[in-house]
Amino acid sequence: MREHILSLLSDALPTVDFGSDFLFSELDSLNIANILMILSDEYGITLDATDVTPRNFKSIDSLVSLVESKLNK
Amino acid sequence: MTLEESIHAHSVATPDKVAVECGDSRITYSGLWDSIVRRAAGLQSEGLEPHRPYVYRATQDIDFVVTYCAVHHLKAIAVPLESKALEENFRAVKEEVDSCTFDDGIRDILYTTGTTGKSKGVMLSETALVSCADNFICDFHLTPELLFIISGPLSHIASLFKMHPILTVGGTVCILDGLKDMNAFFDVFRLPYTKFATFLVPASIRLLMQFSYDRLCALADKIDFIETGAAPISSHDMEQLAKALPHSRLYNTLGGTEIGAVCTYDFNDGKYMEGCIGRPMKNSTVEIGPDGNLIISGPTVMSGYVADAENTARVLQDGKIHSADIGFMDEDGMIHLKGRQGDVINVGGYKIDPVEIENAASSIPSVKDCICIAATHPVIGTVLKLLVVMEDDAELDKHALARELKSKLEPHKVPVYYEKTDSIRRTYNGKLDRKYYKQ
Repeated sequence: MREHILSLLSDALPTVDFGSDFLFSELDSLNIANILMILSDEYGITLDATDVTPRNFKSIDSLVSLVESKLNK
Repeated sequence: MTLEESIHAHSVATPDKVAVECGDSRITYSGLWDSIVRRAAGLQSEGLEPHRPYVYRATQDIDFVVTYCAVHHLKAIAVPLESKALEENFRAVKEEVDSCTFDDGIRDILYTTGTTGKSKGVMLSETALVSCADNFICDFHLTPELLFIISGPLSHIASLFKMHPILTVGGTVCILDGLKDMNAFFDVFRLPYTKFATFLVPASIRLLMQFSYDRLCALADKIDFIETGAAPISSHDMEQLAKALPHSRLYNTLGGTEIGAVCTYDFNDGKYMEGCIGRPMKNSTVEIGPDGNLIISGPTVMSGYVADAENTARVLQDGKIHSADIGFMDEDGMIHLKGRQGDVINVGGYKIDPVEIENAASSIPSVKDCICIAATHPVIGTVLKLLVVMEDDAELDKHALARELKSKLEPHKVPVYYEKTDSIRRTYNGKLDRKYYKQ
């Protein structure tokens, strides 16, 4: 799942370095909107503004954890 | 009364009232005034003189407000640049303004693409700043109980010129670093204020409605008004926002660095007229020119462009700004925008000249030819797309290209979408056929 999410997001947001451990600080509101839309569509999960926290968007691994926690609900 | 005079008056009348909130920090009017005086003394000791420019980065914090007002307190000229302005651009602006002399009344120079499509330093007088604030105070009925959230960059008129009227009436400004942390935006409404308001570009309104509509609805009794502008908002988004906030005033405003805040329309009227910007505000006059373009006059308009007499003469004629906006006035005196002359692309309120992006891309060896066009994003609206012809028909590595562009351009100018193409269509005389790509 990690590689798939990384591939999806890297393809949609070519300016973002998804290898960063400070991902949230690199993103702008457009990037955030894109990530929410892509992950919601791909995994059929509901993501909203409450999920947009520095912790959830810290790195690609934390985004994967976010998706996994939504899928397990 | 100037902004600084008003802050001084409030520091005497309501010294403990909070003037600015920012994250966990806040400063009262008395604290703000003391900081301004101290910062002004520091700048003076560093050699800043009246009528001379002070170029600095517009950080999203209380310190920005202090420096901005301190510069004005010395009768010097504030030149706030984007916090992420490239170092070479910062140096170029500093060199440009340092080499010029300015009229006594100039207080701000704001760099913008705006009306001309090229980056220009717009000179604004003290009269323009005070008159623009007065437009907001009167037309939005601003009062001291209000907390106004500023989430846009403070180097941009839409944010900076909201700080003026709010602090002038003794209200409170809350500064956020953008809207990407939407939780931080909603957390502001837990602060102990009775009336809240904000400015949001249409893309930010759509973002909030898409991902947190219920939370927005829950704020219906707290939000006094939301103002939008800088880019078109659709009738659908107007209606959705009005459903979420049925009792709030919802304004669509025409403003610009060269013209100030000029017209506004409360679209919570059941009509949701797309493109409507209402009637001229207190200190502004709008006429429709022979080509359908808006001609704006009044004390809010700019004094001219820095070191650019040619463009100043073209845009500012007899004290009137000949804008690139095309519109008409209806039988009720309401003004409606129909579009804009020229090739500028409006991305979330930033007016971007595609030539700047094309020049940056063309300087990359693997790019043979390119054109920067507007594309549609499902949430944000208009974004930039780069169509590229590669040297030797090589594969397009959009990550590498985006990274290179990121090193040459400010973040909001880096295209979101990239597409390889065999050729770029040109007109008979060899120019890029922008009209074709607009279809």
